[in-house]
Parts: sequence; structure tokens; C-alpha cells
Amino acid sequence: METVGPLAGLRVLEIGDFISVGYAGKLLADLGADVIKIEDPIDGDSVRGHGPFPDDIVHLEKSGLHLFLNTNKKSLTLDYMSVKGRQILDKLIAHTDLIISNNTHQEIQDYSLDYASLSRNNPQLSVSSITVFGYDTPYRDWLGTALTATAASGAPTKIGHPEKAPLWLPYCAADFHGGVHGAIAALLALRMGKISGQGHHAWISTVEVIASYLNGSGVPHFVFNGGLASRDGTHRSGFYPWQVVPAADGYMEVITMVDDQWNRFTKLMGNPDWAKDERLRDRWTSFEWHEELDAYWHPWLKERTREELFEIFSEHRIPFQPVNRIDEVVASEHLETRDFWQTIEHPVMGTYTTLGAPYKFSETPWHIYRPAPLLGQHNQEILTNLVGLSEYEQQRLRDSGVIV
Amino acid sequence: MSMETLGPLSGIRVLDHGHVWAGPLLGMSFKDMGAEVIKIQSPSGNSGVSMGGRGMPGTTAGGDVEELDPMGFHAFDRGKKSLTLNLQSPEGVEIYKRLVAKTDVIVENFSARVMPALGLAYEVLSEINPQIILASLSASGATEGPWRDLVTYGPSLAALYGIKSVLGYHDSEHPQEDQADLDPTAAGHAFFATLAALEARDRTGKGQHLDIAQGEASIQRIGEPIMDYLLTGRIAGPQGNRYPGMAPHGFYRCSGDDSWISISIRDEDEWTRLIEFCGDMVPAIRDERFSTLSDRLTFQDELDSILEGWTLNYQSWDLTRQLQKIRIPAYPVMGAIELAADENFNALNQSNLVMRNTTYSKDAIYRGVVWKLDDGWGEISGSLPKAGADNNDILIDLLGYDGNTVKDFEMRGVI
Repeated sequence: METVGPLAGLRVLEIGDFISVGYAGKLLADLGADVIKIEDPIDGDSVRGHGPFPDDIVHLEKSGLHLFLNTNKKSLTLDYMSVKGRQILDKLIAHTDLIISNNTHQEIQDYSLDYASLSRNNPQLSVSSITVFGYDTPYRDWLGTALTATAASGAPTKIGHPEKAPLWLPYCAADFHGGVHGAIAALLALRMGKISGQGHHAWISTVEVIASYLNGSGVPHFVFNGGLASRDGTHRSGFYPWQVVPAADGYMEVITMVDDQWNRFTKLMGNPDWAKDERLRDRWTSFEWHEELDAYWHPWLKERTREELFEIFSEHRIPFQPVNRIDEVVASEHLETRDFWQTIEHPVMGTYTTLGAPYKFSETPWHIYRPAPLLGQHNQEILTNLVGLSEYEQQRLRDSGVIV
Repeated sequence: MSMETLGPLSGIRVLDHGHVWAGPLLGMSFKDMGAEVIKIQSPSGNSGVSMGGRGMPGTTAGGDVEELDPMGFHAFDRGKKSLTLNLQSPEGVEIYKRLVAKTDVIVENFSARVMPALGLAYEVLSEINPQIILASLSASGATEGPWRDLVTYGPSLAALYGIKSVLGYHDSEHPQEDQADLDPTAAGHAFFATLAALEARDRTGKGQHLDIAQGEASIQRIGEPIMDYLLTGRIAGPQGNRYPGMAPHGFYRCSGDDSWISISIRDEDEWTRLIEFCGDMVPAIRDERFSTLSDRLTFQDELDSILEGWTLNYQSWDLTRQLQKIRIPAYPVMGAIELAADENFNALNQSNLVMRNTTYSKDAIYRGVVWKLDDGWGEISGSLPKAGADNNDILIDLLGYDGNTVKDFEMRGVI
């Protein structure tokens, strides 16, 4: 199908495994790029075996993470680490604008996946490498996952209870962040290619990406001020209040950054005497007494449901919002109004629903053209049309396990 | 100017209405990659970065409290130009429209009502300049919906969109406060989207409006538990440091004060290497309850406590080096001081610069650029602009007003 997205006409190879490169590929594919996902001939991308699965029964075509991450892509199974497989990869590269990859340093070395080797026959090729610790840094050959990347970034030192373990950003957030920035690096390399007339290599480190997010000011803040000295638990230090507070049926995120917002809250509670407590006057120091101060108003929240509270606070323009559960988010009227959820026909799953657009383009829309591909679904199409292999040659590759 | 000095966004002019975090960070991304970024500020003194209230200890090299540096957010304005412009006045709007005609990208993170209320809806802007790309980062999107006009911040928006519901200890319902990554997540998606819109413009000659709901960009990263709910009806709660399909997977206490190591085991090969390494010291880890992944997930509490009994004997860096040597993903949970001294981290941040902070007369260090191009582009440049520092250059040189008119604008508070 012809795509209409802003990246229509761009051919991309996605090489690597799991979330970071898969999310980068999804961002490109959902904006119209022709993304060919190169997968292991036997098990495919490991997201296929990861789940979650309907009825918890493992099935390579039914993993929820795969169905979400691989929309709009084509699947080519190819053992590109074999000699035969590499010949096919090189032929494919001749028809490719961009490669995104998250290969480890070891794989890059062992299988000649560095920029110079990849672009040997296509000087216009651009490559974006998503790495954990960096492409040419001292620990580039260390192994890392989203968990270890998050640890290395310093982020967990601020998350969790001081007496308990620090916390990561769950569900491999680091890999998603790495994916976004890998996709950015890809488009920057392409732009650089337009300026200079030849392809470019760009790379990111997920550790650095997460570290760059910290506290607005990032690295300098803790270099000079030790700004990540302790974990805050359910109460962020700094101005007051910034907390997760129990309501009758769950939790509320309670944060005010402007005095007017806090004053509207105390007014809403009927200007009680406690609101005149001297310790609340300077809300940049109030945190010190938060246990006593919390006792003034937490019970009031505890008596009300999140829905009641959300209605009252929205009406009074106070930025206190419910901690919605996953099911509540899926059922939210707002996301329905925005046509967020996408329902897709899939040859094995039947119909499935997945997340929608991270942004809306007015002229060249984000769009789902096809479901996540079956393993090797596009082998024949790609090998015939792009690589130029005959049916006989393809059969021999199948027989030798280079493709399925 | 040689090719080497041109960045990927050379020749792109950006108007930056960003305030607080997501918007200014997006503007900074353009600047870091070679664009000319003009920060539009109100002449009344609203810097466009302040969050109100007192500044927290910021980025000053001496570690002083910087009163005018709330949260250190001004660091996002490095290298930008500054134009003060009163968009409430008809003349201010007129100047703005002349500027729009010479602009490629407009970045704003107002609430969805503000630009239309100023008479600067996308339709108006695109009539002046059909090539204009307007990147709007509102909290919940520009179209109708009950969450459209909420007053909200990153942490409360993360709560609303379910992101906070999975952050906390696995044995407690109570979510923990987060590291507030919603703003940079939204800014990253917005930068990507705007670069894609530039690609489309190269092809079609036409700009467009990007309606970026920060919540919708950020919710993508909890796609996995959302798919779990959609496929199985399970509702995920706080996850601790656990992750489906990997065990052990956590932060384990080491010797020393509040010192931790992260260890995650992805497959049976890594598990085998781990128990070969530590099995003689902690025989309990060879228990058959831990022999398969599904067993390890079932008995994760026991496994974690056995493993921590072992890691406690080590310093986190010593153990990290030993585990990496046998190809196990591990790294210390970095604290402030360790991160500042981290060899690898410093190699990554080689483009950090000490720069003269022109606004506040103190030196500051700024974070480096996360996107590395092989030819070395990505050195940060330029310091913080004083409000209105570039008024004359922009009005006279770029827009062609004469000096007297500009003086008159100044006297009447238009600029």
C-alpha cells in the first residue's frame, strides 16, 4: 500500500533485537517509512517470545509487545551473520537509505557491522546506532539492559524509599527513550547526508539519554550540588506539596508550583485555620515539616474518591490529578475523543487493539497501514523485488536455514 | 563556511515560545544541531523559563543558590537569540507575522487555547507562510476532550495517563514519586516529529501543524502493560525493579553506605554463567527451584534475598567488573559523586562546556548533546541570551524596520 506519512519513500533496515531498535523502527514506520525488520530465522525478534500472550500461551505471532512495536513493518528473516546472509544484506543495502541498529559492540566487531563496512557499496547510506554505553567509549563492549542503563544514568538514586532499594523506570523505559533518540539521530544523519551529499553515521547512548533527562538541569545539578543525594519516596523534596496521596479509592498526584494554585486549594477547603500555619508560608521550606502539614489535609482527600476529587480540582483549576490505573486509561473518554486506540486486523490474532499516535500531523498523517508482520512474511517479496533472487535461489537459502 | 561547520539543521530558523521544560528543551535541540533559534519573550519581564516561586539551587559552578534560576531550567536557552515582543499589542502581532514569513519552525508548549487566542492559530500562520511547521506541545492535545484544558504538570500528567500507576514497590499499592521524565519524553517525540515534518516539506514544499499531546507521546513507554491489559485483562500495579521474562532482575545491596548493583539476567546462558561464578559461594542459588526462568519468576523473593546475601560482600564497582568480565549485564546504581567521576560517562559528555553565563554573570556547565554524528558535530555553543538582546538585529537586519521605528516600539513597550 502507498504510504502518505511524512517519511513516505524512505527505505529503512531495522537490525538488532528487542525494544530500543524496535521502537525507533516503529516511529519511522508509523510515519510512512518502508521499514524492513530483519529477524532471526528461527525465533525472530525476542519481543515475539516475550509476551504478554492471550491466555498466557506462548506464540510467536501473538506477543503483545511485538503486536505493539512492529506495526507497519515488513519482516525478513535473515541470518546476516552467515556468509550467504551477509551477501543478501549487502545487496539489500544497495536499495536502502537508512539502517537503524542496536547491535552490541561485540557483534559490530565480529560481523563487520560498523558504518564503513555497511556503507561499502552504498555511500549514500546513513546509519543510526543505538548503544547502551556509547559507540566509541571506554565501556562500549560492556553488556547492558534497560535496567543496567537506568542504574548507570543515576536516575534511580532519586526514586523510591530511602530505606528500600532505589527503583528503575519500569517496563524498560530506558529502551523506549533510547529508541526515540535513535530515531532522531537517524533523521539528523539523513539531513546531514542531504547537506554533504553522502551518508552519515550517528549514535546515541541510552545511559546518556536518561541522564540528560534528570532534574531539568541534568548533570551539572548533581555535579555541583549533589542534587541526587537521597530518595524521596512518595514525597518529592523541594517545594510543598509534591506527593502521591491516598484517596478513598486509590491515589492522587498532588503538585502545585504556583502559590495561587495552593491558595485556591486552601480556599476550596474553606480557608481553615491550619492554612495560616507559618510553616506553610514559604512552600520551598515547608517540606521539612511535611508529616505534620500533611495531617491537615490528607484526611479530606482520603474521604473522597478520585473521580470526585478530579471534578472538584478541575473546576477550581488546581493541578491535582488521579493516579489512573491502566484499565482506567484504556477506558478514558479523552483518549476515545482523540481516536487514540487503533484496532487492526491480523491474520493470526484476528482483531487486536493497540496504542495510537504519539502526535497528530495535519497534512501527512501518522497511520497504521498494516499489522505487525508474521515472521518472514515479506521474505519472498523482498528477495524477489529488491535482492533479485530467483525462486530456485530462495529455496536453496531456505534449505540451508539462512531464511525460513 | 566549510561543509564541516554546517550542522544538520543549518539554515533552519526556529521561533521558540517554550516555557518551563518541554518547550525550551525542544528549542535547545534545534539549536544544538545547527538551527538559528529565536526565543520569543514578553517585554514585561516574564523570562519564559520561570516556574514561579524561588529558584532552587541551580547550575552555578560555586554551588550557590541562584535566585533567578528556578530548577536550572534557564540552561535550556543556551545559544538562543532573544526577542522581546508584546503579542497582546496589534503592532507586536504585526512584527511577529513578518517574522513568521521568514521562519521554518515554530515551537510552543502553551495550553491548546493560547495561540488561537492570540490570533496566531496554524491557519493564520500557514496563510502567511505555507511552509511553516508549527509544533504544539500541549498536555493532552489540541482537539476536544475532557482533559484538554486541565492545569497540569509533568508528574500529574504522568499520573493521569497511568504511567505512575506502575512505579513503586511490587509489594505495595502506593506509587512512588518519579524522576519526572514526562517533559523530556514529550520533547524528544516532538523533535523527531518536527524533523519528519521537515522531510515531508523537502518533498512537498508544504508545512503543517503538529498537535503533540505530551501524555500521548509519553504513554507509549507503558505500551507493554497496556497490551497486557488489552490481551488478558490483567491490570498491572507497581512493579518494583522486576520485569516480565527476566529473573534475576533488580538492584542488590552491596557493601558500603547505600550502595547497590543492578543485575539483569536475560537468558539461560547468562543464568548459567552467573551460577557458575557464584554457586560455590552461595550454594543455595543452585536450588532446583531456580533452574528455569518460570521457576525463578515464581520464587523471585527467595532468589533475590539469596543473591543479595552474596552481593553484600562486594563493593559495587568490583562486582560490576567481575560480572561484565563473564558477560553478565551489571552496573552500579550511580550516585551523584560517582557519576561525576565515571570514566565512561565523562567520555560520553565530552561536549560539555564551561560557559560564561551572560545573564547572571556566573559560569555554568551545560549538559552535552546526546546525538553524536561521526564528523563531530554537536559541540554546544553560545551562552544564555539576555531578554531582548537580539531585538535590533532581528527587527532591523532581518525584518527591515528602520532604527527610529524600533526605538519607538521600544518606548511604547511593543518590544
